[in-house]
Parts: sequence; C-alpha cells; structure tokens
Amino acid sequence: MAEICCEAAAAAAGSDQKGECAGSRAARRRRMEIRRLRVVAEEASAKRRRLEADEEDAVGGRAPRYGVTSVCGRRRDMEDAVTARPEFINGHHFFGVFDGHGCSHVATSCGERMHQIVAEEATAAAGSSVSDETARWRGVMEKSYARMDAEAVVSRETAGPAPTCRCEMQLPKCDHVGSTAVVAVVGPRHLVVANCGDSRAVLSSGGATIPLSADHKPDRPDELERIHAAGGRVIFWDGARVFGMLAMSRAIGDSYLKPFVISDPEVLVVERKDGEDEFLILASDGLWDVVSNEVACKVVRTCLRNRAPRGGRERSSPTSNLSPRQSSASGGSSSSGDEEAGGPSGDGAGSESDGESAEDRACAEAAILLTKLALARQSADNVSVVVINLRRRPRS
Amino acid sequence: MDQQGAGGDVEVPAGLGLTAAEYEQLRPTVDAHHRYAVGEGQCSSLLAQRIHAPPAAVWAIVRRFDCPQVYKHFIRSCAVRPDPDAGDALRPGRLREVCVISGLPASTSTERLDHLDDAARVFGFSITGGEHRLRNYRSVTTVSELAGPGICTVVLESYAVDVPDGNTEDDTRLFADTVIRLNLQKLKSVAEASTSSSAPPPPSE
Repeated sequence: MAEICCEAAAAAAGSDQKGECAGSRAARRRRMEIRRLRVVAEEASAKRRRLEADEEDAVGGRAPRYGVTSVCGRRRDMEDAVTARPEFINGHHFFGVFDGHGCSHVATSCGERMHQIVAEEATAAAGSSVSDETARWRGVMEKSYARMDAEAVVSRETAGPAPTCRCEMQLPKCDHVGSTAVVAVVGPRHLVVANCGDSRAVLSSGGATIPLSADHKPDRPDELERIHAAGGRVIFWDGARVFGMLAMSRAIGDSYLKPFVISDPEVLVVERKDGEDEFLILASDGLWDVVSNEVACKVVRTCLRNRAPRGGRERSSPTSNLSPRQSSASGGSSSSGDEEAGGPSGDGAGSESDGESAEDRACAEAAILLTKLALARQSADNVSVVVINLRRRPRS
Repeated sequence: MDQQGAGGDVEVPAGLGLTAAEYEQLRPTVDAHHRYAVGEGQCSSLLAQRIHAPPAAVWAIVRRFDCPQVYKHFIRSCAVRPDPDAGDALRPGRLREVCVISGLPASTSTERLDHLDDAARVFGFSITGGEHRLRNYRSVTTVSELAGPGICTVVLESYAVDVPDGNTEDDTRLFADTVIRLNLQKLKSVAEASTSSSAPPPPSE
C-alpha cells in the first residue's frame, strides 16, 4: 500500500515526488496512517450521507461539489476540525478548516459554531445599509471571528455532558489552547475567504494558482511589527515563535498570549469568474508544510480532469485503486443511493447521472490524494483538506 | 545574580517585583538556594510570585513532583518512573516523564527530583532528557513566608540553563522566564482558590 501511495503520488505530482520509500519501519507507519485515513474517510462519508438527506429540502442553486479529508497522521492526537455546510444561508456555502493546538476543544468548538455565527452575522448584515459587498463581508467575518474567540475561552464548558478533551478540571479557563481558522463562503457571485493562523486557502483559476490567504507567521514583517508595537517579542526557537512559544501570530483562543496573538481575520472577497475558476483548496499546515500550492493544484486538477464526463470512464486515474465506498465525503449527490448502489441511479438520463456521480467523487479523491501525498512526504502534523469544485453545475 | 554596591547598599534584582524590605527578608533563602555558578554559554534567572495563601498550602502544591500539572501549564501528562526501592516515596533521584501539549517547541521532558526538603520548603529538579532545547536545566523553587500584616507567601523560582546554539542569553531567558511566570501565576490562582474554598463557612445563625 505504501508503494501504491507513493506511486499514485508520483503519477500526480511528477518529478516533485521521489518514488523511493524510506525504511520498512517508516513504510509500516505510513501503512497504519493510510489505514487510519480510510477509517476516517468512511466515517466522513457516512456523516456526509446523513447530511445529504437534510439537504434535499434546500432551495436555491445546486451546492458545489466538494471533498473532505481529515486525518491524525503522525501527531499523537487529532486536534483538527473541518466543517462543510452547503446552503448554510440561502445560496451560500460554508467551508472551514480549524487546526487546533494545545488540545482539541477550541478547534472542535470552531467546527461546531463558526458557521452558525457567520450565518447570524451575515443575516444581520443583509439588512444593513452597507451596499459594498466586500465591506459587508469583511464586517461579517471580523465580527464572527471576535465572537468565536470569545466563545473559545469557555468552549470546554459548553462541549456537552461528556467533555472529550484532557484539560485539567482545576481551572475553568484553558488559556493555552487555540486553533487556526481558515473559512470560505462560496456565494453566487463572490468567494469570501477569512483567515487567522497558518492554515491556508488556495484558488485555482484559469490554470493559475492563487493564494487567497497569507499565513500568519510571527516573522512575517507586518506581524512582527505589530507584535513588537504591542510590547511582545518573537524569538527563533524551533522556528519563529511568539515569546519562543507559539509558531503563529494569530489564532482563535490562546488567551495567555493576548494581545500579541490576536484573532482578527484577514478577509479577502473576490468575484467569481465563470469559465475560469476551477477549484478552491482549504487545508491545514499539515499539508502546506510539505506540499507547495502549485503541486497541490496540479494534483487536484489532474483528479478533476480525469473524472470529466467526456471519456472519463475510459481513462485510469491516479486514484483508480480506490473504490467509491472507500472515498471520503463528497458533496452534491442528489441521492444517497448513488454511493451505495455503485451504479447508475434512477434519476434522469443514465449518462448524465453517471457523469455527475463521477465528478462528485473526484473532489473526495483529490482530497484523499493530497492527504496521502502529505503523509508520504513525512508531514509531522494532523492533515485536513477540503477541495471545492467551483465550476457551476446546471440546475436539475 | 545581583550586584552589591559599596557600603552594603542592597539592590533588588530588576523585574523581581519585590520591595527592598521584602528582598532583605528573603536574602538568606536566595543566598542559600538560588545562586548558581554559571559558566560560559549558560544563563540563569530568578523570579518571584506573591501569593495570598498560607505557605503550607502553597508548599503542598509545589512539592508534588508526581503531579506538576496541578500548577504548571503546558503539561499533557506526567508519569513518575517506577522505582522498586523507593515505592511511592518521592525522594531525590526519582524521575518523571512529562509529555507537553502540542503547538510548543517541546514534546517530552525527562526530569529528575534533586531536592525535596519539607522543613525548609525547598524543591529542586533538573531536566535530564527529552525533546526540547533546554540543556543542563536545573531549577530550585522555595516557599517563604513574609512577616507583616496579612498572609503573604513568596515563591521564588530560579534556574540555570545552557544557551542553545543560534540563540542569545536574552532569548533563552525570555523563553524560560515566560514559561515560569505563567506557571507561577497559575500556582497563585490554584493556591488562593483552594485556600478560599477551604475556609470555614460563616455561622448560619
């Protein structure tokens, strides 16, 4: 399996990936990681099917197709969270990646609440007099991140009757737990990306790779200046760290490092370009630390192209070894029966349905392949990936 | 650690947060337990924390070599290595394996108990291994009572450590002082909370 993984990655990434594997121990570790990936992917798929049932009542345009993967990888604990909420408000779709540190509960809380907070703020802003779409979305995101950061302080207490994180019970606050938050809202006319921390959003449009976020590293010149102006210090201690401790300059939570580590997002609002926009990737630094933006986009482009309806079934794909049942969550299926039946559904023309089904799986396969590539390249962190197909789908 | 001026003038170390009178009371403790022979490529530091709780209550927390997460931040878990000769006794030579939470420039730390003096309230440990950048780290924590109106305990914590390659003394002191200062603040919160919660309830009549 490790050889297949490296082979598949090599096929997709070309010369950027060395085909040789490390020692047998490393190979065994990667096999275990890939097995864990499969389990998580299946769980995500089951969750996705439940979500699809709820979604059938949604109104408006078809939700974009997307794939989600989130694996523990080489870390001791899983502290990432991922959210995909098609039609979270009318005509808009929410995607988020939250990479936790210190413990999992802040990222978990972001995964559960951020889309709700953004929906509330967007609904409130819709009635405002701000006519500029960019300014309106920037305000929505800034308010949402501030609210999420305030909630993070008490997030462990609101986790539910059976808290699942390990923080001591002695004190109510967990000052040293935090999370990144990279969020994308896909609307009919705009893409909105808000980022806080060192996860990242990358757009592929017209064949070009376009970063939609800039990592908040403490040694980024403007961040370094802001931290110093606030009276903080950045030292190089296994990389640039605020007071030698945290390797990012912005995060949700981490109260102990405020006001040096802030939760203000950088917000980008871009107009969608039909015919040019291909896909959007959101991922944690478990991916980006070992895979460049360009390589990631090349991998996804290959997956999406190989699954195009025209002649798609005749050509083998880099993920041909994966069966549909083993794919991770894939958005946009009109019927949950598609994945389980494995054949043409009863809806509409068979060929059209087959095409949609294949395209739906392509995003999931792309997300899985990126994750495998990160693991093969010895990523030392949790890896979370969301791939969103931005090509418009015809209304059914 | 500090310069003594001519004529016996006492200078309180900068940033310690103690008055000259307070420091004078603590001088014997500092001289006995918080001085280090620091060589080339090493640095040391002394920090203080006032706590409004009885010294015995503070000491009961500080001395827990087996359970530092009660007052220290950033600990994911701690396990004392079994010692067939010692059983459960905490005495010099015992080792603990500390796992550190994610996101920090360390993942594990192996630590040796060097001193545990219940009469003098002196606790000392050194770091002997693990994945981190603090080499030859030695630390002493003392719990002292200040005479004067009201309960005032002062915890002093000092350390000596190598300066890692590529960093300055100032970097190293900043990193270690930040961790210790956060831990001492938590110790204050925990000790004062436990003291106030254990106070006898006022008579209901």
